[in-house]
Amino acid sequence: MATDYWLNKLMFDLQGPDGKSRWAPENREATMANYPVSPEIRQALLDDDFAYLYPVTNAYLMRFFLLICGHDDDKSIEILSAIDVSEETAHG
Amino acid sequence: MAKLVGSFAAGHAPNVARLWDTMSGESREWLTSHYDEMGRRLKALEPDVLIIHSTDHWVNFFLDNMPAFCVGIGAEHGGPPEPFMKPVFPHDALAGHADLGRHIVEYALEADFDPSYSMQLKLDHGMCVPVWRMELDPMPAIVPVFMNLVEKPFPTPKRCLAWGHMLRDAIEAYPEDLRVAVLGTGGLSHSIGETTMGWVDEPFDHACIELFKSASDEKFAADLTEMLEKTGNGGAELRAWIVAHAVAGSQGFDLIGYAPMPDMLIGCGVAEWTVAA
Repeated sequence: MATDYWLNKLMFDLQGPDGKSRWAPENREATMANYPVSPEIRQALLDDDFAYLYPVTNAYLMRFFLLICGHDDDKSIEILSAIDVSEETAHG
Repeated sequence: MAKLVGSFAAGHAPNVARLWDTMSGESREWLTSHYDEMGRRLKALEPDVLIIHSTDHWVNFFLDNMPAFCVGIGAEHGGPPEPFMKPVFPHDALAGHADLGRHIVEYALEADFDPSYSMQLKLDHGMCVPVWRMELDPMPAIVPVFMNLVEKPFPTPKRCLAWGHMLRDAIEAYPEDLRVAVLGTGGLSHSIGETTMGWVDEPFDHACIELFKSASDEKFAADLTEMLEKTGNGGAELRAWIVAHAVAGSQGFDLIGYAPMPDMLIGCGVAEWTVAA
């Protein structure tokens, strides 16, 4: 699947100094309103459904997004390793 | 005329800065001793300018405009914007060398390369972690060259070799007497934000080291192109090492050190090339 432009733009913009605040649960809906993502992606964002987001997210932005969501490296590795990617290929 | 006086490469990782005070003593000692040694060698060459190749980690570019190569031609560059760099990196800005940067762009275009250029770049942890750990003082002027190594399609290893050879010619065609060093940063193997995150692919790293030691450009490009498809996404950053390899004449590789560092999430290599005459 292709990298989703607006989903990744949202994550890219969350790198700013107010990123954590913009992605706090009470602000997510308002933040997402600025990005025309599909209804399915929007719901996955609200549900922290990283497995759904994974195929359409740049890997480096996914790592950053997991940090913004409060997951350290160990937890991020746990979340990512549980995603089924039988069709995935390496990215090098 | 300008002269290439040295070529180096080293890994980088956010965790080097983020965890500097809390990482294991073994990791901190390894990083300190090997980056110190690279810094000692670089300082001994007394470079006026350091040309650094690295990927941009979503700081300067996004999917609306993603150059394969972007040369910084600003008189000054912004320091790293990442919050984890602020406590450790002592510079808010770094001096550039606008004339040499522009010369490289013009030379590249005449040589049938098509780099972009920018007068306003921020140097993220990819460039600034090695610069920080080498403790360069005085700091040479920096010409940054960002390569897209975060979102495919990437420049091919063959193209990176050609870029490195062109860069050598460009440096030596610059009319001012400058001592120029090159640094490629990134790699070796790592996997970031993937299902294999945390994987350090030691066989890949050792195979790359062997290629740097003795492979012809043709074998190097063919083997690495195949190998990169089977390792983690961070392996793409070997392309910055390829530039450092080619600019030195594709020979003279001297591994200062290599260590798999799972806590840094990278296989960490530090190297110098003896510059061929």
